[in-house]
Amino acid sequence: MDTSSPNELTNDDLSSVSRRRMLILLGLAGLLAISILVALFIGTLGPIGPAAQHRISYGDALKAIFSRSGEWETIFWDVRIPRVLLAGLVGAALACAGTAMQAVFRNPLADPFIIGVSSGAALGAATAGLIGLTAAVSVFLPPFFAFITALATVFAVYALGTVRGKVYADTLLLSGVAVAAFLGAIVSFLIYFVREQFHQLIFWLLGSLTLASWDMVLVVFIATVIGSLLIFLHGRDLNALLLGDETAHNLGVDPEFLRKLMLGVAALMTATAVAFTGIIGFVGLIVPHMMRLVFGADHRILVPASTLFGGVFLILCDAVARTVAAPTELPVGVITALCGGPFFIYLLRRSRLGGEQR
Amino acid sequence: MSLQIKELSFSFGDKKVLKGVSFEVADGEFIGLMGPNGSGKTTLLRCMMDYLPAESETVLVDMKPIHTFTQRELARMFAVVPQSSTTDFTFTAYDIVMMGRIPHISSRFVGESKADAEVVRKAMETTDTLRFATRVFSELSGGERQRVIIARAIAQQPKALLLDEPTVYLDINGQFEIMDLIKKLNKEDGITVVAVLHDVNLAARYCDRIALLNDGVVESIGTPKEVLTPDTIQSVYGIEVVIRKDPFTQAVYVMPRTSVPSIHRHGTRVHLISGGGTGGPIMKALHDQGYSVSTGVVNVLDDDFVSAKDLHIPAVAEVPFSQVSEEAHSENLRLISESSFVVVSSFPVGPGNFRNLEAVKAALDSGKRVFIVRPKEVPSIDFVGGKADALIAGLINSGATITEDISELLVGLPERRAV
Repeated sequence: MDTSSPNELTNDDLSSVSRRRMLILLGLAGLLAISILVALFIGTLGPIGPAAQHRISYGDALKAIFSRSGEWETIFWDVRIPRVLLAGLVGAALACAGTAMQAVFRNPLADPFIIGVSSGAALGAATAGLIGLTAAVSVFLPPFFAFITALATVFAVYALGTVRGKVYADTLLLSGVAVAAFLGAIVSFLIYFVREQFHQLIFWLLGSLTLASWDMVLVVFIATVIGSLLIFLHGRDLNALLLGDETAHNLGVDPEFLRKLMLGVAALMTATAVAFTGIIGFVGLIVPHMMRLVFGADHRILVPASTLFGGVFLILCDAVARTVAAPTELPVGVITALCGGPFFIYLLRRSRLGGEQR
Repeated sequence: MSLQIKELSFSFGDKKVLKGVSFEVADGEFIGLMGPNGSGKTTLLRCMMDYLPAESETVLVDMKPIHTFTQRELARMFAVVPQSSTTDFTFTAYDIVMMGRIPHISSRFVGESKADAEVVRKAMETTDTLRFATRVFSELSGGERQRVIIARAIAQQPKALLLDEPTVYLDINGQFEIMDLIKKLNKEDGITVVAVLHDVNLAARYCDRIALLNDGVVESIGTPKEVLTPDTIQSVYGIEVVIRKDPFTQAVYVMPRTSVPSIHRHGTRVHLISGGGTGGPIMKALHDQGYSVSTGVVNVLDDDFVSAKDLHIPAVAEVPFSQVSEEAHSENLRLISESSFVVVSSFPVGPGNFRNLEAVKAALDSGKRVFIVRPKEVPSIDFVGGKADALIAGLINSGATITEDISELLVGLPERRAV
């Protein structure tokens, strides 16, 4: 083969890898900041939005956001800012948990929704809600119950995927799919029995950010920061795990422990998110994929990139969900699937075609 | 680095896989682990890398029990190359090799240093993988992928390489490429190599020693020449083989003798006149059909003589490059007289072995049936100025049967019991 091929690695390439990564992350952080601002402008009352009259001007909006004054202050500080921030945090949590799960299951199709963790969390939070232990009582109650059931789900799936002490990634994933379907059915079953609380239950199934509050922002913030940091710090280990248990072990990584830790952390992040917003699909599956197609599979860039972009993605999807069918709101899951699906297919096609030229 | 395996046993549940395996690997040695499927090779290798938990004091690394080392310490001493490595994730070749540095990076809070990058560069240079460093690993060919994995192992800067059938999914070119590379690391960098190998001939060519496992115990251990004998291979693999020497490398190599089920040996005697390697296939075919074959006169450097020895067939032999002696000739005639019929291959006839044709004539004259195997499109075998051709024509006139090839010969042979 040609020795001067463009694939050859030069010394410059080697030393600029970490600088390139910093630039990528700074870029994504900037993108996140811009999306937050833009999403704050989007709403039924504008500045960007469907309102015909009484449109809030950019000046008024900025005044309300940054100096907490003017007639629109409560709309922004009590409703829209917590909602946008919660969207960002939930998106980040789901995308980061999805990234970790895809590595643990060694399967790019894994995500909190597909392997049943979301359903498990939803069941816990919904049941707690039905017996009166809602966020109105204590903001920590729904995520607590959601975490218990999500964790139970994860480890049930894990046990089902383990045969005679050996973990089979395929069996694990299939067990997850089965458990997800089973738990989803239980939630649907509950709906039929408690019709008067139908709306509350349908909320868990479709996912929504309408109930956002500052308390929720705080709880999800703590879980997301701790969770994504833990996963990020195990980025190298996750890389090694993807080469197989034997290789990971030979590189000084304990595959069994790593899997349990990562699944536990991912369950925590998913549970806190689902406890307040219900099941929002597609984010945990699609965002890590997009980031992998753009930046490659190394988890030390993939984890932070997915976390940041997960936030961007859900903030923008929620902004669309709030306004596109005004005056009604669409479930945000509808938008995540509608936007995510085609974009994902586009990236997939592009990378496949590009791959052949390379 | 030296390794000692002492009375190592290992079970998966009730199934005993290793039943008291003992052997030593010296520092800088290249040792091959061989044996049939299910003999415990991979399990043994995995115990040696502490991936499977061996009982204490059964695996010693530099005289110390393996479990007294931490996993990270072991990761800096051993590098493992599994059978095949695939991943659905889009790591570049460079990403993969850099993973070899994981056991050397002090903390999860720091990144790779310039020194790490340099080690990776060198590893990729050694394995000739640098030119596709930025390509996606899963899109490389099998041989390229395996070279990347070996580069990763080198980046670990190990004292020993443990390989589990590193060439099993590669084509023949890739197999030698990978084995040459491993041998180079072994010779030039003094890395101890323990490799599970399936291909006996690769093992014979590259290993200093071979440990042959069978049903969880070491059946035989030693140099390839010591271990790879027809008897051991027969008892371990249950297949009849012949052992030859590679003319170029002098390494032993093993050829299976196509395993025809031993049919009824009716013992009808056949004498085969051949030479120049033309008799081997006929000899084998007749032998497999249950005939008691003898042959002569061939010289001891002739392939036909070697074939006869491998089949344990009596052969009248002559010193190379000399005329068939009176002694050998009469021995030949004796074997002819004891046999039911005579088969003649299209062997090249020169002044040295012209007597063989005379022996055929004598056989025909004494009333023996003679079968000549002679394809139509055969180059002249006469190196005695037409005398041979004339004699063969005479044989055919006096009633010798001409057959086109071996299958025609077998069909044309007289009914065994009737003879």
